[in-house]
Amino acid sequence: MKTRRFKRSLLYAALVFAAALTILPFYWMVASSLKDFQSANQRPPTWLPLATYYYAPGPDGQAGEIEVGLLRDAAKPWSEIRKMDRIEIAPIDRLNDPEAQFTIAVSDLRRVRRPRWENYVEAWKAPALGNPERPVTFTRYFWVSTVTSVATTVGTLLTSVLAAYAFAKMRFRGKELLFYIVLATMMVPGQVLLIPNFLILAALPDYTFGMRWLDNYPALIAPSLASVFSIFLLRQFFLGIPDDLWDAAQIDGAGRLRYLWQVVVPLSRPALITAGVFIFLGEWNSLIWPLIVTTSPDMRTLMVGLQVFNQEQGGNFNLLMAASTMSILPVVILFFFLQRFFVEGIARAGLR
Amino acid sequence: MARTEKTGRFFGKDLQAWAFLAPAGAILILFWVLPLVLSVFVAFTNWHGGDTAADARWVGLENFRMAMRDPRFFKSLWNTVNYVVWSVPLTIAVSLALALLLNRKVRGLGVFRTAFFLPYVTTWVAISIVWTYFFQQNFGLANYVLDDVLGFGSLRWLNEPRGVVEMSLTGLGHLARVLPPAEMLDFKNPLVEGPSLAMFSIILTSVWRDTGYFTVIFLAGLQSIDRTYYEAAEIDGAGPWRRFRTITWPLLSPVTFFVLIIAMIGAFKVFVPMLVMTPEGGPSGSTTTLVYFLYEEGFLSWRLGYASAIAYILFLIILAMTLLQNRLFGRRVFYQ
Repeated sequence: MKTRRFKRSLLYAALVFAAALTILPFYWMVASSLKDFQSANQRPPTWLPLATYYYAPGPDGQAGEIEVGLLRDAAKPWSEIRKMDRIEIAPIDRLNDPEAQFTIAVSDLRRVRRPRWENYVEAWKAPALGNPERPVTFTRYFWVSTVTSVATTVGTLLTSVLAAYAFAKMRFRGKELLFYIVLATMMVPGQVLLIPNFLILAALPDYTFGMRWLDNYPALIAPSLASVFSIFLLRQFFLGIPDDLWDAAQIDGAGRLRYLWQVVVPLSRPALITAGVFIFLGEWNSLIWPLIVTTSPDMRTLMVGLQVFNQEQGGNFNLLMAASTMSILPVVILFFFLQRFFVEGIARAGLR
Repeated sequence: MARTEKTGRFFGKDLQAWAFLAPAGAILILFWVLPLVLSVFVAFTNWHGGDTAADARWVGLENFRMAMRDPRFFKSLWNTVNYVVWSVPLTIAVSLALALLLNRKVRGLGVFRTAFFLPYVTTWVAISIVWTYFFQQNFGLANYVLDDVLGFGSLRWLNEPRGVVEMSLTGLGHLARVLPPAEMLDFKNPLVEGPSLAMFSIILTSVWRDTGYFTVIFLAGLQSIDRTYYEAAEIDGAGPWRRFRTITWPLLSPVTFFVLIIAMIGAFKVFVPMLVMTPEGGPSGSTTTLVYFLYEEGFLSWRLGYASAIAYILFLIILAMTLLQNRLFGRRVFYQ
């Protein structure tokens, strides 16, 4: 009995350890996103999501306190600074201006530790390099990604429902063969299609009255408007719907489309949500395709924007962690609400 | 009357089905089938630049011949193989272990599963940035733990081109005396070097990210195994290891096989963490994978013909792998 209890606690210890290792990077990301530059770039690291603020009376005996930054001693720990007599400081917004620097007694310096929420505002509003008149920020990236992902999800679900229904419930010549061909396209790695699809999109304006495809929403949306995985998933689900329902609908005078829309679709909500979640996730998280087909900062999706931000802000890890947190927040929220469908979709794919 | 009804049914029904298939079909033809055909043509030309075929010439197999002579191509192929060979078994081992633990009527299963799965839903770009910070040389957590806490000294992680096998063999002071001297081991031999530490850092990141996904698949597989087998085995006095080897492993083999294929194909296509974590192909180009090389050649140098040939080689490798795995494991897989 005792060994059993012991084994049990070992099991939980192992699981908790593994879970802690899995969660640690997330904690570190969020914690660092609330630090100031100094606390995010120091060793030993600080574990709490806190930034340090310093306040001092103004240099010319101005009334009230101003926020200041330390100069030479910025890297020193507080325990050492406290022992000092006087310290060089400057107003926080004029740290690099030699004329603004002044010294005060350390005892006049007030130190406050709190989360630095401003990181999120700063990261969000940081303009990308490029066009200074029309600065592109995360507002734009979020917008492009939302439009792209939502449009793709809705569109792909529509095309997949129709195709899956035809494959599941309609009889036509060449059905088997066609279904195998569709399944076979799943074997083609998307990377093979990058170059030819790019060339097709570059050539399409000649056939579509000059509509711009590349560096525009159509390039981001159109190629992913069909999903073999979704067709397959929905077909499996539709196969389980009894044919009696169709017979009854026919007696009531409904056509295929009305039956599909009013009976099949409401019955298939779990499968539709599962498919939709994976389509949305794939679109939101994709990098290589948007990286290739967009050139102007205006058309960057969130992932491309985040990667550009990473290149431009290299080393500013508190801001980078804030930007990373913002970009994964929508999918994490989606995951927490629709977790069941994620797990079911994957488990079903594995157990075909 | 009968005739029209027959033709009406024939054409009417077929036509309706085709109409239902048309939207998805049009997209699949335009953006999957057509490009697949087109890329064969592009791979046989010296296509340069973004959108015009004006100066593209037919060069036959030249692009493929060029790849066979291109050390950068082989380097990227080798890097990719290293990535696959290390990340796939590691991921599968860890996720199978976790699934086995979770399958023992654990309380709070949902919480653990959520925790393990969370990395998989988050995006590669954000994850790569977080782990770049983690591996940062001066104030990253990895070196803090390794050097300040454990006292092993710090590593260069994402900037280290040396192979991990070489590093650990030369690093193990005591063991090195038992082993033949380093000159004899010939660490410049890529077979002995292993992936560079930079690549290994990315491998660790990908194991962390993908484990949850495969855990969910393994767990579903484990839960579908009939409990009575275990009860019978226990009555016969079979220990846990024997139960695993004779019941769990064979009955789980279709799932394992599926996971192996998915994981290997996914690993062969790896790109994003290389782009984000090790800019410009990593130290000594040691994290340039096939897809990264393809991206560089195609969309940075705009040598679309050559890049298409590389894409096709990648396609053939993945196809061959799928078929080979089918042959090797197909017979041994136990289907219920």
